[in-house]
Amino acid sequence: MTDIIQAVINGVLTGALIAIPAMGLTAIFAVLRYVNFAIGPLATCGAFAAWVLNFRYGWPVLPAMAGSFVTVAAIGLAVEQAALARLRPSGALTVAIASIAVGIILENVLRFSFGNDLRAFDLPLMRDWRFWGLRVGPQQLQTAGIAVAMMAGVFAFLRFTRYGKAMRAVADNPDLARLFRMEPGRIAMATVALGTGLTGVGGALLGLDSAIDPMSGSRLLLPVFAAAVLGGLGSIPGAVAGAILIGIGEELSLLVIPATYRSAIGFLTILLVLSFRPGGLFGERAA
Amino acid sequence: MLEVEGLVAGYASAERILKGVSVHVEPGELVTLVGPNGAGKSTLLKVVSGLVPAREGHVRLGGADVTRQGAAERARAGFAFVMQERNVFGTLTVAENLELAWPGPSRQMAEERARMYGRYPVLAEKRRALARTLSGGQRQILAMAMALMTAPKMLLLDEPTAGLSPKATEELFEVVLGLRDLGLPILMVEQHALEALEVSSRGYVLVSGSNAAEGGGPDLAADPEIRRLFLGG
Repeated sequence: MTDIIQAVINGVLTGALIAIPAMGLTAIFAVLRYVNFAIGPLATCGAFAAWVLNFRYGWPVLPAMAGSFVTVAAIGLAVEQAALARLRPSGALTVAIASIAVGIILENVLRFSFGNDLRAFDLPLMRDWRFWGLRVGPQQLQTAGIAVAMMAGVFAFLRFTRYGKAMRAVADNPDLARLFRMEPGRIAMATVALGTGLTGVGGALLGLDSAIDPMSGSRLLLPVFAAAVLGGLGSIPGAVAGAILIGIGEELSLLVIPATYRSAIGFLTILLVLSFRPGGLFGERAA
Repeated sequence: MLEVEGLVAGYASAERILKGVSVHVEPGELVTLVGPNGAGKSTLLKVVSGLVPAREGHVRLGGADVTRQGAAERARAGFAFVMQERNVFGTLTVAENLELAWPGPSRQMAEERARMYGRYPVLAEKRRALARTLSGGQRQILAMAMALMTAPKMLLLDEPTAGLSPKATEELFEVVLGLRDLGLPILMVEQHALEALEVSSRGYVLVSGSNAAEGGGPDLAADPEIRRLFLGG
C-alpha cells in the first residue's frame, strides 16, 4: 500500500512538471489550431537558459526561471514568425511537421553549443523528508510549488484579465473576435509567447528535478502531448488534469513494468483517447 | 449613412457571389434584404462588415471609404455585425461576452453592462452562465446586446430569428424595432421576409448576386409579383 501511495505522490509531482509545457502546447493549439512538436526542444532551451543563468551567472532559481521564460518566448516567437506562420496557409499538418524540423534544428544547436554532457543546477543538497514510510524530496516540492504557482498565475491571467479573456475569445471564435476590434494575429503571437515561455519554464523545472542534456525536452514530448490529448487539446484545465493523470499513470506503471517501458503509458493513453474519446476528458476547447 | 456601390465579392470556392450590388441605408432607417437562397444576402453583410474582402466596388460609412479596411478597423469605425451563427463566445460567460464587446475604458464598462442588464433582464439572470448554455433566443439577445455595447453607428443583422421559436421570434422583432425607434440605422437579412419588410423603411430584393428590385418595405411586401416570386406567395 505504501508503494502505491508513494507512486501517487511521485506521480502528482511529476504531473505538475508535465503540466506546464502541456499548458503551453494546448494554449498554442487553442488559438492557432496546430500541434507545436517543437515544444520538446523548446523545453530543453528553457532548461539550458535557466542553467546558464543559475550555474554560470549565479542567479537564484526564481529569477533564472523568469529568464528562461523570456528567452524561450523570444525563441518561440522568432520560430513562429520566421517559419511556422508562413506555412499556415498550407494547413495544420504542414505546420506541425515543420515544427518537428524546427525542433531538430534547436536540439542540434544546443548540442553544438553545450555538448552532450549531463549538467546539473547549482542547488544546495537537501536530505529527503521521510514520514509514514514515504519519502519526498524538498527539491521536488519546491519544483512542484513553482509549477502550481505558474498554473495559478496562468488561470488567473486567463480568467481575470481583459487580455486573457481576449485570448480565450480568439480561441473560441476568431471571426467574432475581429468584429469586436480584437486582432487575432496579435493575440495569436501573444499566445505563442505565453505557450513557449511556459514550455521553457517547464524545461527549467525539469532541470531542477534532474540533470539536463540536449535531449531532455524531447523525452518530455510524449507525456506532454499525451497529457494535452487526454485533457482535450485546447483545454488548459484539461492539460493540467491530463498531466497529473499521466504522471500518476507513469509512476504506478513502475510497480508492475520495468522503467524502460514507462513511456508506453503516454503512447497507450494517446491510442485509447483517440480511439474512444477523441475530444479528451474535457471534451472541447475551453481555454 | 451606409453606401454600398457596385460590390463584387465571393469566396475561394465561388469567386463572384456578389456581382455588382448597390444598397444604401439612411440615418434611422431599417432596411431589409430579401431574396432566394444563394442570392448573396449574407455574403453582402459579411463584405460590409469586413469579414470577406470586396474584389470591386466601395463601402462607405458616414462618407468615409472603408472598403480596404479589415473587420477590426470597421468595428472601430462604427459597424456592428450580428452573425447568424456563432455570434457569441460560447466558452465565455454572458458577463465576459459583454465585457469584451465594450470598446472603452474598463472603468465605464461595468456601468454600461449594468445598463444592458437593465434593458435585457434575461442577461442579468444568466450573467454567470456560459454563453453556449443559453437558449437560441437568449443567445440572440446576448449577441444583440454585445453589438449595442459597441455604441455602433450602423447595425448589420443576419437572420436574427433563424431557428427561434415563434415566441422568441416575436420577442426578437420587438428588440429590433426598439433599436430602430432609437434611431439606429439597421441593415438586416431576415428569413421572415414578409414580416420584416412590413416594418422596414425600405427593402432590396437580391437575385443571383445582383439587385432585382427595391422600394419601400411595405410596398415591396404588398407587391404581388415580389410576393409570388420571393416571399412564398
